[in-house]
Amino acid sequence: MNDQRRKAKPEAEMPLSQQATEELARTLNALWEEQEIRAEEREMAAQVFQEVWEELVADLSSKAQKAFPRKLAARRRQQQRERQRAQRRKPKEEVERFSLLFRVQHIMLFSSCIILILTGLPLKFPNSTWAGWYFRLTGGVQVSGAIHRVGAVGLIGVGLFHLFYITCLPEGRREFRQLFPRLKDFQDVLRNVLYFFGWAKEGARFGRFSYIEKFDYWAVYWGMVIMIGSGLIMWAEELAMQFLPKFALDIAHEAHSDEALLATLAIIIWHFYNVHLNPDHFPMSWTWWTGKISLEEMRRKHPLEYEEMLRERAQREAADE
Amino acid sequence: MVVTERFRLHTGYSLLSAVLGSLLLKAEAYGVPIRLQSAVDNRLCLVCHAKSTLTKRLPTGKVVSLYVNEADYQRSVHAERLCTDCHVDIVELPHEKEIELVNCSRCHYVGTVSPPDLKKYAEYRESIHKVALDRGNHRAPACQDCHGYHNILPPTDPDSQINRRNIPQTCGKCHLAIYSDYQEGIHGRLLRAGNSDVPVCTDCHGEHNIQSPQDPNSRVYATQVPQTCASCHAAEKIMRKYGIKVDKYETYRESYHGVVNQYGGITVANCASCHQAHRILPASDPASSVNKHNLPRTCGQCHPGANANFARGKMHVRVTKEEARLLYYVRLGFRMLTIGVMAALIGHIFLDLFSRWRERRKGRRRQG
Repeated sequence: MNDQRRKAKPEAEMPLSQQATEELARTLNALWEEQEIRAEEREMAAQVFQEVWEELVADLSSKAQKAFPRKLAARRRQQQRERQRAQRRKPKEEVERFSLLFRVQHIMLFSSCIILILTGLPLKFPNSTWAGWYFRLTGGVQVSGAIHRVGAVGLIGVGLFHLFYITCLPEGRREFRQLFPRLKDFQDVLRNVLYFFGWAKEGARFGRFSYIEKFDYWAVYWGMVIMIGSGLIMWAEELAMQFLPKFALDIAHEAHSDEALLATLAIIIWHFYNVHLNPDHFPMSWTWWTGKISLEEMRRKHPLEYEEMLRERAQREAADE
Repeated sequence: MVVTERFRLHTGYSLLSAVLGSLLLKAEAYGVPIRLQSAVDNRLCLVCHAKSTLTKRLPTGKVVSLYVNEADYQRSVHAERLCTDCHVDIVELPHEKEIELVNCSRCHYVGTVSPPDLKKYAEYRESIHKVALDRGNHRAPACQDCHGYHNILPPTDPDSQINRRNIPQTCGKCHLAIYSDYQEGIHGRLLRAGNSDVPVCTDCHGEHNIQSPQDPNSRVYATQVPQTCASCHAAEKIMRKYGIKVDKYETYRESYHGVVNQYGGITVANCASCHQAHRILPASDPASSVNKHNLPRTCGQCHPGANANFARGKMHVRVTKEEARLLYYVRLGFRMLTIGVMAALIGHIFLDLFSRWRERRKGRRRQG
């Protein structure tokens, strides 16, 4: 690329501004006069002057060769940044993705989960150093257990509310229908994998909920059933053991502990990647708080839903007219 | 110096002792006390104290024997000592004042030269027995109560009160209920049968440094019990002889009881809560607190309403295919599920990142 540019702009023709050329000429004339050149030396002096001039041009042009592409690239970057900033400042058109009820449920869910994980995980690894620190800091396993039960009440509460939400409220029923797994989701997985490897031109085009979001939802579903079920057995162990043998309690304990680890890993790795660490969202997507999604993102991430929305809008406008 | 002089006194007085004895009796009869100017031959004391019927009545009304068995004394570690070496307050015969309990620490103190210098004297001072004694409990034991009065023998001597085989009886003089529990338990039974592996009182409770079980420094404090039992029950070398599994400590520590106990919880069960502290019996014994039929009652101490369900399933569970098949498969299933799901999710994340990187590179090339 550099070679091409050199050919296009030979050294001798390096452009200098009018002002710079005049300035240079004036300096050289002064030099000429200062030297008191005798008549017979004129030719030799002209030759020296020519050499000096050529050296100067060569020097300038080599400097320009180095500086020009660098400065040009820097200027281009700056321009791009300014354009992006301007774009960001420009109010984007946004639509509501998650209703207030939806967001409240999510906030309750993750707050209880954070409490439960922080107070529960040290029990899974009781011999680790950090668990030792934690238990000494909070004053023992029983204190931790009490806080764990507070989190459990939150989790059970949001679980029950969600059941009410998806069965009794029209909004919840609509969302639940959208969240239900379909054949298309499995096709989407396949399609995306092909796309990831570069064997398909385009990735899957999602509707309101992608298979990624559906997986998150159903993983929580499965987790809630196991964690709340086994947790309640252990919470009311004396009552539970009126009906269940001791080994059933051992199984509940094992399931609780193993599923807790699975859920924690899934949240930290999968969910955190998709909504925090992912280059599109880093450090965080704010949709969980505002409930809003930009039309641009909607078009990119949920094209089918976007298209349907546009169609509905068009129909409404047509009906209005 | 002292020893040689005493020796001289010994031999010199041996002839005279009979004469002195009769003099002493006469003096007593006349009611004239003899002032003792120097150390007195033991035989002089034995004139009276060899009589097995010699007693005195304490102010409390209790009658105590003042008999000294000469043969026992001759066998004891103090055979060479004179009576007045220890009974330093005897300065006249017959005694006018009440003779006080001998203070062993006149010779047995930390830093002493001639008797064995052991930390034990200092340890005793910190113990619950000494604390109780200082608070005015006269039934709390001083040195003599365990080591003996005139019959002190080294602990290696089978007749010693503090020989391993005799320790339960020695402690049982005061702790009678615990003594009978211990004798019924497997440890007591085996001890009587001559087994030297089983623990006696001092192995768990300590010797001179004995503390109340409510004291967190005690080896039998709730959070210390598991380690104390484990010092034998997790030792393969000892347990192999009796066919007892050594994983009991480990499985306890993995259980909820064990974890809470490890971090200072004293309301959860420790070894002694279920197996009992002194009347420990193997689970196969129908009288054992951990026998299947007695488990509801044992668990019921903490879990009100415990029923036969508490006995359905293993207690010290080791999750292996042989011991807990169902539990093993649950754990295996979850492990497979976790590994499978994580592999898929992480794979998806990396593929996503890879395709993003590829798109970006493609985009850059288009720009360039």
